Amino acid sequence: MDRGPRAAREDIMQVTKFGLLAGLALGALVAATPAQAQVTLKVWSIDGVDRPGIADTYSKEFDDANEDIVVEYRGIPFDEIVNETLRAFATGNAPDIVSFDNPDFALFSSRGAMLDITDRVANSEIVGKAQYFDGPLNSVTWDGKLYGLPKYTDTIGLFYNKDLFAKAGITEPPSTWTELADAAAKLTDPANNIYGVTFSARAGEEGTFQFLPIIQMSGGGSNKVNTEGAAAVLDIWKSLIDNGYASRDVLSLGQWDSTGAFNSGNAAMAISGPWEIDRMVEDAKFDWGVALLPTIEEGGQRSSALGGFNWGIMANTQHPDEAFRLLEYFVDQEDRIFADFGNLPARGDIELPVTGVTKKDEALKVFQEQLQYAQPRGPHPEWQKISKAIYDAEQQALTGQMSSMDALNQAQATIDGIYNQ
Amino acid sequence: MRFLNALRDGVGFDILLVGAALLFLVALAGAPLVYNVLMSFQQVDMFTLGALFRPFVGFDNYVAVVRQPEFWLVTRNTLIFVFGSMTGQFVLGFALALFFAQNFPGAATIRGLFLVSWVMPGLVVGGIWSLILAGDYGVLNVILRSLGIIQANVFWKSDPAFSIWAVVIANIWLGLAFNMLLLSVGLAAIPRDLYEAAELDGANAFQRFWTITLPMMRPTIGAVLSLGLIGTLQQFDLFPALTEGGPANTSNVAGFWSWQLSFQLYDFAKGATVSVMMFLLVLFASVIYVRSTRHEVRG
Amino acid sequence: MTRTYTPWFLLAVALGLAAIYLFPVYWMYVTSVKSGSEIFSNPPTFWPADPNIGVFGDVWARRAMPTYLWNSVVIAGGVTAITVVLGTGCAYVLARYRNVWIDIGLFCVLMLQVLPASVMVTPLFVGFNQIGLLNYPRTAVVLAAAAKAMPFFVVLVRATFMSVPRELEESALVDGNSRVGAFFSIVLPLARNGILVCAILTFMSAFGEYIYSKSIIQSPVLQPASVGLSGFLGPNSTDWNSIMAYSAIYVTPILAIFVILQRRIVAGLTSGALK
Repeated sequence: MDRGPRAAREDIMQVTKFGLLAGLALGALVAATPAQAQVTLKVWSIDGVDRPGIADTYSKEFDDANEDIVVEYRGIPFDEIVNETLRAFATGNAPDIVSFDNPDFALFSSRGAMLDITDRVANSEIVGKAQYFDGPLNSVTWDGKLYGLPKYTDTIGLFYNKDLFAKAGITEPPSTWTELADAAAKLTDPANNIYGVTFSARAGEEGTFQFLPIIQMSGGGSNKVNTEGAAAVLDIWKSLIDNGYASRDVLSLGQWDSTGAFNSGNAAMAISGPWEIDRMVEDAKFDWGVALLPTIEEGGQRSSALGGFNWGIMANTQHPDEAFRLLEYFVDQEDRIFADFGNLPARGDIELPVTGVTKKDEALKVFQEQLQYAQPRGPHPEWQKISKAIYDAEQQALTGQMSSMDALNQAQATIDGIYNQ
Repeated sequence: MRFLNALRDGVGFDILLVGAALLFLVALAGAPLVYNVLMSFQQVDMFTLGALFRPFVGFDNYVAVVRQPEFWLVTRNTLIFVFGSMTGQFVLGFALALFFAQNFPGAATIRGLFLVSWVMPGLVVGGIWSLILAGDYGVLNVILRSLGIIQANVFWKSDPAFSIWAVVIANIWLGLAFNMLLLSVGLAAIPRDLYEAAELDGANAFQRFWTITLPMMRPTIGAVLSLGLIGTLQQFDLFPALTEGGPANTSNVAGFWSWQLSFQLYDFAKGATVSVMMFLLVLFASVIYVRSTRHEVRG
Repeated sequence: MTRTYTPWFLLAVALGLAAIYLFPVYWMYVTSVKSGSEIFSNPPTFWPADPNIGVFGDVWARRAMPTYLWNSVVIAGGVTAITVVLGTGCAYVLARYRNVWIDIGLFCVLMLQVLPASVMVTPLFVGFNQIGLLNYPRTAVVLAAAAKAMPFFVVLVRATFMSVPRELEESALVDGNSRVGAFFSIVLPLARNGILVCAILTFMSAFGEYIYSKSIIQSPVLQPASVGLSGFLGPNSTDWNSIMAYSAIYVTPILAIFVILQRRIVAGLTSGALK
């Protein structure tokens, strides 16, 4: 973006002012250090609030390595980052670089709040569009232009308890939803408090996260949810709950708590993602494995959820060049994100290192394959409203307040209203 | 000089005392109120979030909110939540206050323990109750089953028939301290000799409660109920932890819905609209309170 | 049952009720030392199979707990100070008269409390930004939270002033005291207990202030303990052990103070000022 000479002059004035201040401060500490022009970049993400993460670690490294740039990092809890950024953006306090959950990205990119980096990426020696998986790349693209880069990615698959499978005489993990229901019936053991399967159909993004892939498998998508196939799978899920093969509490449990029941041996299968692996390795006192998410028919279309975060430079940054340099540094260090932070790179050209933990390595291989089928939510600036329509419909169907098809039709009416605005 | 005299005479002093507090409240609570009322008649997006003057849309937001498929469900839930919580808090709080007004060893000490929910952060209370109310591993079901009250597990948070009550139960626990404390204060202010006289006249315990305790408690009850209504309408922390308003909005109430619209669906105008609608309920509470003060007796 | 046994019977009932009421607090402590999956085991365990006491030290070290707790104290202290200074006078006047203006005043105090903090935070943020108060984030939070605490304080303290006999103030006025003098030397001392107790209650609820702090205070070194808590809720994970351990660390000191002070709190409120 051309910002004109005035903005540039203001920049220089600001930089000089900053340089003077910094110079004074430094001069006071270390005698005879020459004053140097410095640029301050603000970076916001959810990392580093609980334990070291990608954004806080790399920001500090970049800050240390570059004398001319100061990186101010702020960690914000997951639930808050979009609201904090909206508020800051409206009052002119927005950061230079921010990291959003991928379905939230379009809210900003579609409204011109993110910097168009199509040309910068095309000219960059470090970053290339071709490296990334389609799904994540899609979520940072709006109207054919690139407004950000994927930070990391994840998806969901089917965890299964091999010991319980052996006991029930099942040799293979289910490959269709009908097979899953049959297996769940065999695996359920009320006397020992064991459910056949657990998943999350919570009233929130997690509910949509796990259900949208079903819609996509049936040929639908974010804009078309009332498919026969999705209604059929919803009916299967409802029968799982009604027959006691899955806990009724899947309607209020988040994925982490739902998988907790799997880890404690109270559910034989669980739908969840790679973020569970480390806890499972530690807590699960049985043999387990991961399979691809079942399909609607044998050999039918595959899909899975696309999780993970994106980076973006905000459009009102005073220092787009420096911000892009920092972004390049983040990308340059992507080969470390799995080893150091356990996150999966959103690109196919980085080999995951072998961890030596057999179950973990096998699970990761399945998730790597699953990632090829992962499809984004949206992208749409009003994604959250679409998402609410979807999880409301899912819950109405699962609680029997409406038939599956009626619930999906109602959601479709809401979604049409959003798309045709 | 006249101003200083007025101060000393009292009227000025009174106005100064009330004025300072009201000015403070108007600046920090009144201004946000105006902002929200304005916003409910405007079209808002992320670029105009910080502005005061935005495209005016009349009652469009109100119409849109009422047309949402969940509107009547949320209204019903709000009423259940408010009346259920307040009745529970008030009845239990009153019962406890009466009980601890008896003279027995340790009464004051043990009553003190009942103030714990006052100091617990809502976020934590939500988390604890979420574990307690879980259908499978929840401890409430285990206790109820072992007492023979229920045969099969109740899915408090996930059964549309119970989900709103799950939040009500947690909210009763949370608000119990407040109700008991205020009602205890009111009870203690009733002169003992009134009871003694009534006892001499041969009034039984129930008659004494009905003819002395309740009438004397009217102002306290008014304060408790109106502050309780405001607190209940503003209750937020429990919802994200317990049900997020689910399943399918069966436990969604106006306060949480307003938050959800504003900060989860980023539809700020509709969120503001719902919060302004809640205004009407609080208006009602304030009138009850102010009326109840008419019956106050000065010590 | 003879009459001499009644008090002991009542004590037993009281202890039973307290045990039921305090169960959620017990559950917080027990959950914090359970293993991650034991929390979800069915049936639940009433006593942890393998209590992990280390979680407290771990959470203490992982989070800057001393800083967080100190900030909570600073914010709660500030809120209490403002509320007491502004609220006491207001409550006194609202208790002193009985007319339509007082009704309107009371009505305003309550109505200004109508919006939930979550809805008020955006306009306050915008306003604070305009006047540059965002650079003093703790002060900004104190101001915002004091406005939220005020109505409760005014209603309670007003009740305290109601119980101060009017004749005492009037005789002081007859003795030649000014209104200001009578307020400070007669009425305030008599209502001291009630005010003190309401101040303690205000402090305790402000100690958990969350919604304003999380938006207005950006720097972690200035944030209160309640904000630190939400960091355990990740995009895909909820660290229940740490949440409960953190809560326990955070709540236990307040509970301890409470248990020590509660006799005074309840007595201060229930005895009125002078009877």
